[in-house]
Amino acid sequence: MGTRIAGRPGAAGVAVGPVWRYNAGGTAEAQRKTAAVGDPGEALHAAAVEAASQLEALAGRVRDLGRPDEAGIFEAQAMMATDPELLDEAVARVQAGEEPVSAVRAAADAAGAILAALPDELLAARAADVRDVGARIARILLGEEMDLPGVPSVAVADDLPPSVAAEIPPGFLLGVALEGGSITAHAVILARGLGIPAIVGAKGLTRAAASATSVAVDGGSGEIVLDPGPDDLAEFSARAAALGESRRAAAALRGRPGATADGERVALLANIGSPEDAPRALDAGAEGVGLFRTEFLFMKRQTAPAEAEQAAAYSAAFSAFGPDRPVVVRLADIGGDKAIPYLDLPAEANPFLGVRAIRLAAHGSRELLLTQLRAIWRAAGRAGVTPHVMAPMVTTLDDARLLLELRDEARADVAATGNPLPERMVTGVMVEVPAAAILAPELARLVDFFSIGTNDLTQYTMAADRGNPALGHLQDALHPAVLRLIRDVVTGADESHIPVAVCGELAGDPAGALVLVGLGVDELSADAGSLDGIRAALAGVTRAELDDLAGRALAAGDAETVRAMAGALLGRHDRPAAP
Amino acid sequence: MQVAELDIRNPSGLHARPAATFVKTAAAFRSKVSIENLTRGSKPANAKSLLGVLACGVEKGHRILVSAEGEDEVAAIEAVRKLADGDFGEAAKG
Repeated sequence: MGTRIAGRPGAAGVAVGPVWRYNAGGTAEAQRKTAAVGDPGEALHAAAVEAASQLEALAGRVRDLGRPDEAGIFEAQAMMATDPELLDEAVARVQAGEEPVSAVRAAADAAGAILAALPDELLAARAADVRDVGARIARILLGEEMDLPGVPSVAVADDLPPSVAAEIPPGFLLGVALEGGSITAHAVILARGLGIPAIVGAKGLTRAAASATSVAVDGGSGEIVLDPGPDDLAEFSARAAALGESRRAAAALRGRPGATADGERVALLANIGSPEDAPRALDAGAEGVGLFRTEFLFMKRQTAPAEAEQAAAYSAAFSAFGPDRPVVVRLADIGGDKAIPYLDLPAEANPFLGVRAIRLAAHGSRELLLTQLRAIWRAAGRAGVTPHVMAPMVTTLDDARLLLELRDEARADVAATGNPLPERMVTGVMVEVPAAAILAPELARLVDFFSIGTNDLTQYTMAADRGNPALGHLQDALHPAVLRLIRDVVTGADESHIPVAVCGELAGDPAGALVLVGLGVDELSADAGSLDGIRAALAGVTRAELDDLAGRALAAGDAETVRAMAGALLGRHDRPAAP
Repeated sequence: MQVAELDIRNPSGLHARPAATFVKTAAAFRSKVSIENLTRGSKPANAKSLLGVLACGVEKGHRILVSAEGEDEVAAIEAVRKLADGDFGEAAKG
């Protein structure tokens, strides 16, 4: 039997393979070894030049793969590696008696701290890039620079920075197990994209894995087994086979609308980020779009998108899904966390608690939202569909009233131009601010539907930054505190007979989907790749079982308990039912 | 010593690519070149250091002071001024 370590699920999948350790720090013993060799200042310069040339080569490779944004990061890192300020600081530390490895790391940390303290979020993000450069120079000093996996392996690390992950050749990364990291870590997003398992927050992993040669990981359960024995290998290979079979069985249900075993309908919708995502969503059997993110129209440009340009994009999405598959357009969810030159937003200390989304209307950007609404009216008229729209970040009743006012004003503007117009616009609000959840009964009298954004609702309810790896235990949307708010939203919506959708990540997680439907949620919207899994999960349970699950979940003490309860209900149906 | 006060008009200020362009230009001269963010009131930083320039936090609309001291100081300031006039190769928004 191997050593078992529990982490948190990051990306589903099962993998077994050799351990590939990534260690950003290097060991104290190795640091002492290098100290004695040659002139430390010269060694440091040579390592910095080598790091720069590695990073330039990496930038070139990534650029050739058609990823220019990533290439830009590595080019800047190449310049940082031989930066005179960084090297002067490191050399000064060496002359003061510090060892080169810790000197370069300390210099990079100091430079990172200066950038992190700047008010500009984009610059602050560069802090991690500098620290990563310091780690790379340190690795070279330690003679560890060639330590990429030579055979397909499972990465075991505290965290895996983008510059390292990008160097692993395609097919050589079987899975990722991290001691740190959050479920939004770069490595986890990479793993989901590659369809390989990822586990985060596995306490004690790097120490325990120091001498392990092989590892088995289950990204769905968060289990890690170091040096698995024959029994473990049999178990994991059975899990891999079961996973493959249940994925195939779930795919066989495609084309059927979402429903519980006893026939209660639950609409399964896709989240899309541009009209180009439509074919993938339709292939996955999406019954419509529960969240059409429109930020792609507003980012990475110097002027606001014109009404005609927006209308073309909305019309493309409306036409792709047709009149029977509603597409819910979310008004631009933008704010101070991204530099949007044409908005002239002031820098904010807490952009996620600042002027963003619907709040922009009262801060000089009313026209921005009006233009978007006019474009949606126009596109719907052209495509011959009834448009569905929702506003993010709605907090108060006045926010909802403002949305309705903007909607009507936009309609009047388009009507004046003589364009064809639908009768109505189905208008909803996102419930992601706790105030909106608390005000649900009153909000429900104003709007046509709710869509709960569980990622932000969790972040705001638990007061825990989504990206902070230290707060993993506060980031699970299955926490009973969040679930009770969701229950209140459903109760408030029911009084006015309006539907409730969920479009956060919880909706795409089979365990989460069962709890949400148990709480009375009517529609689930998730990434197209998640629809098979939630469709199959719902098809295996009855309303009575879901009611029972919801009741126990609301009374539970923490998210782990809720996850285990939902997992037990799911597990009962792990053997896929015959289609 | 040669100095120039320059207004930054390009959208991303001295971040990312414009910062790299600025540093590469400064590094091509033998003179000591430094940069100060007058708007933010930063300390003078080594203009040949990307980290130094980034730490000035120069955003669109800021005014910077560039100084050069050395044998090619005139040419250095001229080159930097030309970059700023061309908005560091990044289209400026009116």
